[in-house]
Amino acid sequence: MSQRKSYAVGTGMFIVLGFAALAYLATQTSSIANNHQGSSYKVDAQFANIGQLKERAPVKVAGVRVGQVQSITLEPGKDVADVTLSIDNKYAQIPTDSVAIIYTSGLLGDQYVGIQFGGAKTYVADGGHFGLTKSTQPLEEMLGKFLGGGGAADAIGGTYTVKANFTNVGTLAVGAPVKMAGVAIGSVASVKADPVKLDALVTLDIDKKYNQIPDDSAVSIFTSGLIGSQYVAIQPGGSPNSLKDGDQLVLTQSAMQLEDLIGKFLVNGSSNSGSNAGSNGSSNSPAGKH
Amino acid sequence: MNTRVDHGNSVTQSLAQIGACGLFLLRILAAIPLSLRHVRETVRQLWFVGAMSLTIIMVCGLFVGMVLGLQLYHVLAIFGGTSASGSVVALAIYRELGPVVTALLFAGRAGTSMTAEIGLMRATDQIAAMEMMAVDPIAYVATPRFLAGLIAMPLLCCVFCAMGIFGGHLVGVNWLGVDNGTFWSNMTSSVDVWQDVINGVIWKSTAFGAVVSLIAVFQGYTTPPTSEGVAYATTRTVVASSIAILSLDFVLTAFLM
Repeated sequence: MSQRKSYAVGTGMFIVLGFAALAYLATQTSSIANNHQGSSYKVDAQFANIGQLKERAPVKVAGVRVGQVQSITLEPGKDVADVTLSIDNKYAQIPTDSVAIIYTSGLLGDQYVGIQFGGAKTYVADGGHFGLTKSTQPLEEMLGKFLGGGGAADAIGGTYTVKANFTNVGTLAVGAPVKMAGVAIGSVASVKADPVKLDALVTLDIDKKYNQIPDDSAVSIFTSGLIGSQYVAIQPGGSPNSLKDGDQLVLTQSAMQLEDLIGKFLVNGSSNSGSNAGSNGSSNSPAGKH
Repeated sequence: MNTRVDHGNSVTQSLAQIGACGLFLLRILAAIPLSLRHVRETVRQLWFVGAMSLTIIMVCGLFVGMVLGLQLYHVLAIFGGTSASGSVVALAIYRELGPVVTALLFAGRAGTSMTAEIGLMRATDQIAAMEMMAVDPIAYVATPRFLAGLIAMPLLCCVFCAMGIFGGHLVGVNWLGVDNGTFWSNMTSSVDVWQDVINGVIWKSTAFGAVVSLIAVFQGYTTPPTSEGVAYATTRTVVASSIAILSLDFVLTAFLM
């Protein structure tokens, strides 16, 4: 009897432990932990393009979660998406002329609906409607400017060597491409510290086909993509003389601090930074220069 | 009564094995009402395959979580994304590692002993004796073990996942210095309770539990009644379970995603 009792107790403890673990997984580590309990009201919004917005995506005001996306359907007969937002009752005072905007949290994060308050004195009620909406920010287009891919130069017919000094090469590696107008024209032959000038001496092997590069061209270190490798970009100058083997490029621009740039986007959920990100990003982007 | 197949070439033999296994499953399911009379036997099996497997499951879960945290930290550090380690650890464990590793451990820890036990019952004519005494051996031997495996696997998998998260947290936050708040908030924002916890952990591990215990019970029940036969059956349990788990994992992932 005692034998039977001991395994019954053991089994009971095992089952309780299993369910406790399940409850822990379900409530503490999943999106339920973010869910607000309590009643909510529903508001509609129509978007021309919802991008990657998913059901149960958060709805935020000033970056604070106030509800979630209830459902996403296609408006019958039109090419607009009908998004139903379920907003907590305790956030009942949202002006009727507020703007519903689809944001991306971070550069690669999920999308969510942000609500920017309007100035109206009346508040949206259950079954209400946001007339003013703004669809997905075309962040991909912005990113596309950074993501200048391109293959390596073929180096048929030999190369010639030019040198350039940089104050900071970032993570530039030997063999990284040298690009002009986004097209690979050579590769980095060596990266060394200059013992006299105390900066980085980079040797570039450029394909002999491209022997018309002005000798006052500027040379910069860019990053391909946000998290990609770094490469050297040559921006042609106006001098009538071309670069020759062994020449030194004087105008150099060191590796961009892309982290700073990205930092502006990565304010997770802040509506102001989200709406301004487009203009900031494109004007500061290195891609705009070449 | 003997479902063992001794004729034909290897293809028809393995097909016959699969078919016999399917028919055996039907017999097990049909015997469920009868086996409810021996519910204590089911509880005893649950204690044996579930509660007794907790130690290995918890230790392995802890170390799987820890090694995931360690590996992912160094990969994510390349992209400056160490704050995502919480969500990646959780998603990797919930969707794949938790169910699969638990099922493999379960096959090794509980499946083999089920096969060996039933195989020895068969070899020492205990099963024949039950039939003589008009006790249905399926209802008394096979079904309780099958049900116990079916119930124990999801529970073990939940424990495994919880220990894995704990291990990932231990390495990521306490050792490598990922921010505690970011770790949890990233995890909670990316883990979906239906998609990951219910579909990933519960359904997958229930399916694996059913497959592993079916294979274990079937191999034991149809083993040749010799000591060599029991040894072969035990080996086959592990081999067939592992193949079944990993291939079923792909199919289930494709369906549930």
